[in-house]
Amino acid sequence: MTQRQTAQRFRQRKLSTKQNLPVVREHEVEKTTAEEDAQRHIPRVETGVEKGEEIEHHLQAVISASAAAAVGGKVAQIYIPTPEAKASSVKYSDLYPRQFQQPATYIRFSSTVEDCTGTPYCMTSEDEAWLKVLNAKRERGRNSIGPCSEDAFEEVISFFEATAQTKQPFAAVDNPPVIPYDEMEDAFDDTIDPSARAFARDIYSHWKAQRVKRGNRPLMSNLKFETGQETDDADPYVCFRRREVRQVRKTRGRDAQVTEKLKKLRKELEDARYLVHMVKQRELLRKEQLAIDRKIFEQRSEVKKVKRDLGVKGDDEDLINQKPVPKPSKLKTDATIAQRAPGTILRPPTRPDGRPPDTEIVLLDDQKAEKQRMIDRSVEERITQHQNWNVGFHDLTWRPLTPPLEPSNNGFQTVIVTDHALPSPPPSTEDDMDVDGAAAPSKPTEADEPVEPSDSTPTTTLAPKALRSSTPLSYLASTPAPSPQPLYPEAPVLSFRTRIGRNNRTWLDRRITPSTPTTPSTLLHPFSNLFNASKAWHANHSLDSDLDFVVADRMKYESDNDEDDGEGGFVRDLLYPVDHYSDESMRLRSAFAVAGRRDSVGQAGPPGQQQGGGQGPGQGGGQAQEGLLVAPRVPQVVNASVS
Amino acid sequence: MAPREVDHESAPSPAPVEKGFATLSTLRIGVKVFVEKDGEERKAEILSMQTRKGKPTFYVHYEEFNKRLDEWVAAERIDLNREVEWPAPEKPDKKKQGAAQSKAHPAKADNKIPKGQKRSRSQVERDSPATPGITESQGQGKAPEPSKAGGKENRDGSVAVISTVVEDGTPKPEDEEMDLVDVQDAAAAAKAAAPEIYSREDEIEKLRTSGSMTQNQTEISRVRNLNRIQMGDAEIEPWYFSPYPVEFSDEDMVYICEFCLEYFGEEKPFHRHRSKCTLLHPPGNEIYRDDYVSFFEIDGRRQRTWCRNLCLLSKLFLDHKTLYYDVDPFLFYCMCTRDEHGCHLVGYFSKEKESAEGYNVACILTLPQYQRKGFGKLLIAFSYELSKREGKLGSPEKPLSDLGLLGYRAFWQETIVDLLMEPGRTDANVEELGTLTAMTTNDVLHTLQNLNMLRYSKNQHVIVLTDAIIEQRERQKEKEKIKGKKSIDSERLMWKPPVFTASSRTWNW
Ligand SMILES: [Zn+2]
Repeated sequence: MTQRQTAQRFRQRKLSTKQNLPVVREHEVEKTTAEEDAQRHIPRVETGVEKGEEIEHHLQAVISASAAAAVGGKVAQIYIPTPEAKASSVKYSDLYPRQFQQPATYIRFSSTVEDCTGTPYCMTSEDEAWLKVLNAKRERGRNSIGPCSEDAFEEVISFFEATAQTKQPFAAVDNPPVIPYDEMEDAFDDTIDPSARAFARDIYSHWKAQRVKRGNRPLMSNLKFETGQETDDADPYVCFRRREVRQVRKTRGRDAQVTEKLKKLRKELEDARYLVHMVKQRELLRKEQLAIDRKIFEQRSEVKKVKRDLGVKGDDEDLINQKPVPKPSKLKTDATIAQRAPGTILRPPTRPDGRPPDTEIVLLDDQKAEKQRMIDRSVEERITQHQNWNVGFHDLTWRPLTPPLEPSNNGFQTVIVTDHALPSPPPSTEDDMDVDGAAAPSKPTEADEPVEPSDSTPTTTLAPKALRSSTPLSYLASTPAPSPQPLYPEAPVLSFRTRIGRNNRTWLDRRITPSTPTTPSTLLHPFSNLFNASKAWHANHSLDSDLDFVVADRMKYESDNDEDDGEGGFVRDLLYPVDHYSDESMRLRSAFAVAGRRDSVGQAGPPGQQQGGGQGPGQGGGQAQEGLLVAPRVPQVVNASVS
Repeated sequence: MAPREVDHESAPSPAPVEKGFATLSTLRIGVKVFVEKDGEERKAEILSMQTRKGKPTFYVHYEEFNKRLDEWVAAERIDLNREVEWPAPEKPDKKKQGAAQSKAHPAKADNKIPKGQKRSRSQVERDSPATPGITESQGQGKAPEPSKAGGKENRDGSVAVISTVVEDGTPKPEDEEMDLVDVQDAAAAAKAAAPEIYSREDEIEKLRTSGSMTQNQTEISRVRNLNRIQMGDAEIEPWYFSPYPVEFSDEDMVYICEFCLEYFGEEKPFHRHRSKCTLLHPPGNEIYRDDYVSFFEIDGRRQRTWCRNLCLLSKLFLDHKTLYYDVDPFLFYCMCTRDEHGCHLVGYFSKEKESAEGYNVACILTLPQYQRKGFGKLLIAFSYELSKREGKLGSPEKPLSDLGLLGYRAFWQETIVDLLMEPGRTDANVEELGTLTAMTTNDVLHTLQNLNMLRYSKNQHVIVLTDAIIEQRERQKEKEKIKGKKSIDSERLMWKPPVFTASSRTWNW
């Protein structure tokens, strides 16, 4: 027979599971013998029962019986014999009381077995006997606590077991001595009821005896879980192994990656935890403060009452929270008050009695209004100031601006060297950027600055609308702004600031500002990088660009990532006091910026970024060049990790 | 046990068995003797020996009887007048199991080891020549309609069909009688045969990635360890080994709380437990309720203790169930009857949260005290109801037990016959029947063929509703009328297929 014929025949005989087959009754088809069917069309079907079991006597008996039934034979129902299951003699209702009431809706339930079974330990008959003896003894001893209940007994044993499991997790393997009672007593916690504790010492002796008897193994029958030993695999009692998660191919790189991820995760969780902790601390303090406020208020009302009763006049300033207020002002509406960001000023005590306040007393409303007015005025002034500042400029910035030129010192605090005493810094103001803005002892350029460096008054809450988007916050922070003019022309001005960097590290930035406004070429600088710096400056002098200065300023930080560099990279450059608004000056700066960018792209990294770069001047050449290129205006920043 | 019978069935030339007469003192583990069982003598293998009350007793397995009938027999029941078969010489690679065995039952650790592994190796040789051809035909049509396929198993079936049609799949030209069904069967046979060629490592890997049934002899301890259990209002003789605490094998009775399934080797702690236990139903959500039964869905990961307890219990009655790995990847659907005491667990089936093979049931069990009451069919029906809700075809995990096979066959027969007997039905196709019932194509074919309903007449295949089958079904319906039909009402199923995210699988959440 040829292949083709075979195929032909095969094709005719195929059965498609997709094809509709006629459903017919038996009389509609010609009779075929069962053997014929079995041979030709109906091969044996796979049962799915394991081969060895398929041939088992009883199964075969049932299968042939049902096969017989399928062809019309009369067969008695045959069952596969199974071992006996019979009604138990236990009193079922005693063990399982009638307490189930079916809810109208489908049951939803998520408690676990552990949640539902109370104390894990269940006492044995041996325990029971022992407990009887104990209680009999106590009875005789006329002990005041009364007998020990089975519940209390189990509670104590459960506690011992749990403690032993925690303290000696491998007791079954390395067989340490049973934990002494003192140690158990130290571990007592909420899980063990005080009433049960009274029996702890007695029960301990029993527990210990039981433990010793079992080779210090747990008293409760346990399943065998994997121990990681080789014997596990062949031991039929070891069950419920962990199903390891899909094994990823392990490489060193992956390991490192995973470690990093975990570290990061941990850190983030720690941060979150710390944050929550701090919030809690804050709220606790706030609560404390409220309590104190309340106390003050109550005592003041006392005083007031006494004063009123006795007709005492005057000394009313004791009755309100005194604030250093420039001048009182007229009332504002409550609505304006409500707008003020909460918590910015101390709240004078309220008057729950609702009576009109005494005229002698400064009105709370007055106070609030005064404050509000002050704030409003400051905001307006700043808006105007900002507008003036921008007059004649096209705002092409695409990001928030860097600090304005003259007043900002970025929170640097100038240190007056030589024989001048260090001034004590004014209270620092905090802003969103975590920059500890500090006023320098220089001449106040914004003398009319209305915002006092008031404690606990976040600057940002003062001027959110006008200033936030376009003006950096440090602009506000550094009030009063330090002067751009050094006080002592001969000496370079040293200034410092602290700021909070990433990872919550505190940085101490040091800035050395050459003082005298001389021409760049003749600038004398105490450090040796002068030469290189000025050379670079000249080299780039001819370059032209229309880049904005502000961008240039920002570029400084892009190429000079000393923050990231961390450990005291000692970078330094020079300050050339110039008229920053002159066209030439701005062009020049932009040129520097371009060159600086080019440089930083060309070089693998600025030489100044070397880790642990020497503090000495000898190292400074390249660094100065780099720094100078990018930001002639911004003085050199020296980083030192403070925390 | 399995390998022994495999030998008996098909090994080309079994190694010559050493026979001879034995005395009580020369009997040892592995010896096959004739034992009196229900009035007749059957050949049985001695699996363990113990001295009880000064008398030797023997744990024997009867050939061609299911393991659940293994038992301890007194020496008197052993016929020493007939020759016994001595075990084959020891195989060195079997120490492990012997060790484990002797550890559990320190009777007379004779280190005779069942020949399972060795034989499976010879099986490899025997089976492997056939396997390639089959894999080929399976591999030919990888593409078609994965959407319809409930899983790998189902896919294989339809694949075989299509490859036959399209590619003129004649794997063996010399076989004139080759039919699509043969191909399919061969594939199925290969699947069923495959487990026997698993190494221990393969088996464990398979269990790790999916599945709950073992085919490996070494996985199963051969001697039953519990004597009796007391559960609810029933007292039950266990059928198979289950890894309850080792010390329980010394107890006459193990007490199991009907609701939380905690186990106790002694009555006192059990009573104490009952006074504390507040559980009245399986600890999960009720997803089905009718007048007769309720179904609860339990997540193995969320109810680890309860599900472990359930698995331990059901292992007593399921030979091939493995407790090698933990319960996390399974959902457990528990069927209960209700009264004022609570919801009594009657049976359950487990189901992989995600089955690579397209199984809709992993293990399925009606507790012995509730067997032969029609609960098994309800369980099976419910499993298909879930598959319908999922829009998938499903099939039970293999191997089936003998009782499982009979239960499934009965259900399949009833389901398909009912469909075919619908008034007005003149034709049917296998896939359509599958879609309507959530049964895999293979299982539909299996049923039709098994009932001799698939015939070839007048040059085409037809489905024949035979008189005997119709009669059988009518009788059944009469019974149902009297006793009341127990079925699953899909309206009462309040269930959406649970979704497990990738991360929950990866991290075992
Ligand atoms: Zn319980």
